[in-house]
Amino acid sequence: MRVEAPVPADVLAAIQAPFLETPAESLDAPILQPLGLLLDLAGETLRERLFVVQGEGPEACLRPDFTLPALRAHLASGRPSGRYFYSGHAFRVAPRGLERSEEFLQIGIEAFEPGDKDLADAEMAALAWRACVAGGRDDLTLLLGDVGLFGAFIDALGVPPPVAVRLRRAFSTPRRLRQELERAVSADGGEGGGGRLAALLAGLSQADAAGVLEEIWALSGIEPVGGRSAAEIVHRLAERAELARAPRLGSEQAALVGRFLALAGNPDECLAEAADLAGAAGPGLDRARGAWARRLEALAAAGVPRARIRFSAAFGRAFGYYDGMVFEVRSEALGEDRPAAAGGRYDSLPGRLGESLPTGAVGCMVRPGRAWSGGAG
Amino acid sequence: MSGPLILALPSKGRLKEQVEAWLADCGLALRSPGGARGYAAALDGFDEIQVRLASAGDIAQGLLAGEMHLGVTGEDLLREGGEDADEAVMLLAALGFGRADLVVAAPKSWIDVETMADVDDVAHLYLARTGRRLRVATKYLVQTRAFFARQGIAEYRLAESGGATEGAPAAGTAELVVDITTTGATLAANGLKVLSDGLILRSQAQFSASLRAAWTPEGLALCRRLLAIHEARARGKAIASLAWPADQDERARRIVAPFAGAGGQVRRHGVLVDRSNVLSAATALSAAGVGPVSVERPAYIFDPSCPAADRLAAALGFAEG
Repeated sequence: MRVEAPVPADVLAAIQAPFLETPAESLDAPILQPLGLLLDLAGETLRERLFVVQGEGPEACLRPDFTLPALRAHLASGRPSGRYFYSGHAFRVAPRGLERSEEFLQIGIEAFEPGDKDLADAEMAALAWRACVAGGRDDLTLLLGDVGLFGAFIDALGVPPPVAVRLRRAFSTPRRLRQELERAVSADGGEGGGGRLAALLAGLSQADAAGVLEEIWALSGIEPVGGRSAAEIVHRLAERAELARAPRLGSEQAALVGRFLALAGNPDECLAEAADLAGAAGPGLDRARGAWARRLEALAAAGVPRARIRFSAAFGRAFGYYDGMVFEVRSEALGEDRPAAAGGRYDSLPGRLGESLPTGAVGCMVRPGRAWSGGAG
Repeated sequence: MSGPLILALPSKGRLKEQVEAWLADCGLALRSPGGARGYAAALDGFDEIQVRLASAGDIAQGLLAGEMHLGVTGEDLLREGGEDADEAVMLLAALGFGRADLVVAAPKSWIDVETMADVDDVAHLYLARTGRRLRVATKYLVQTRAFFARQGIAEYRLAESGGATEGAPAAGTAELVVDITTTGATLAANGLKVLSDGLILRSQAQFSASLRAAWTPEGLALCRRLLAIHEARARGKAIASLAWPADQDERARRIVAPFAGAGGQVRRHGVLVDRSNVLSAATALSAAGVGPVSVERPAYIFDPSCPAADRLAAALGFAEG
């Protein structure tokens, strides 16, 4: 188990200073978090990174970060809004073969507040930037992404809705997205399961089809197990049939999607090019451009140098539960696997815990051990 | 831990019977000085080997941890040792019994799901609809995670199952199952079907060596002897020997040349051929007027080289031998 070297007190104070400028409640989150909940939200791939603890009750793990603990604390408080500052140790199992700290300090803020979301996004990114700069490294970049931009782009591009749905779903996995693009171009609706029966059911109204499927199960002595109803299965069959009937994605359109994903660099230029690639304007894309213009303006006003900001269209993908703007502060010396800070917007996460919030949800986290120029990272 | 070579064998069930039959067939009698309930045993002719009897699961863990040098257990259990199981254990010989497939199974009622790609799709839909992930019940956490990761599927959760994994969907504690199956009958009885591309591993009993145990040259030599016997028996079963009168040797050699190709070896007035070819070769000889031709099945065919032992020696850093 590697514990990271402590950051010198004066450096830590400098890194922490920006976080203390706005009033926030100090979060005292339990180190032990419910394993099931974390895996439900973040998926099985997170399990490898978790220190699982077995006690008498349900399995728990050492907190890998503070986002979920902050959200749970906020939901438990019942307050309509809140802003929480945290500073404490978090724990992640190092990937095999890599010498990484498994216990490390994280400081950050999670905000559940009403008000202008774009400005709040920029505030979080600026906060992370200023904190990292105080660590003394001079090779920092602020990398920005947008989880929702891809969807807005393909809608503006005029991709047929059934195809758009599948592409959006595949965005988070490059390999799947490639497959979906190829499939959409070749008009291979995907064989999938069910064969003739599936095809026949897809031709009925969904209400009829669900009833027929249940009868078929009864006749064949199939006990329906597992949490999917006949209605759900029939719905998916209908969707697949619709996909098979949908117009092909033109290879030019597919190429444009590819070019969109390759967009990286100066944010204004990237967004302008995204609009160019899309050709026709789309309300979603226009809104996104407007939002980004405001965020960039706010970042500039907060002192983040334009030259150090990079945007990447593909960056929004592997971020788990984030669903809006995402960002990282990266050091060239540490590489892209060890960001010094990260954060983003996750408005839909509270809903997944069963409680929608009237406000949004956005946060940022800094690792002083990485931001500190004297740290091993 | 230097000292005697430790060989672990299954202590109960069908696998124990199959291992005893395998050893007996090789001509190695297993003695249980401790009686039927003992945990120690001995191999006739190999007094320097300490035989330990343990469950298949314990053997797998023991090999992975380096607590024993050699053992027979299922490959499925060894691979649960982790992604780097290959660095901890070396498979020396697949024994041809204890076969079972590790598979991904889904409810039969899901007529729209046949492949892992379907699972990927459904997992995503399920998550979007319910906010929760599809649950996969299994004891094989390591291999399930690795397989799903290779397929690019992340939107699921493992539900560790102690007892009857295959009953989990019916009990409502999971949607999918990853388990060992031989005939598929138990899966079907539980309302499940195997996905068309859901085969994770074709497992069987493996004679394996621990790369983490403390090996000595003497131990390695003993292992080589055991392996040589096993391989010699296997070769003997696969090969038949034909013999013909000395004075017809020249003609006979010409006739059997095509059969003595791969795996066949010419002998004095005879040849070793693959068993599948023996009747064709014999009838060809008769047709050419060569005879009488006798056919024998060797009990063993020993070969000086033992590639599996060489591999083990190399992995352990020993020079040849």
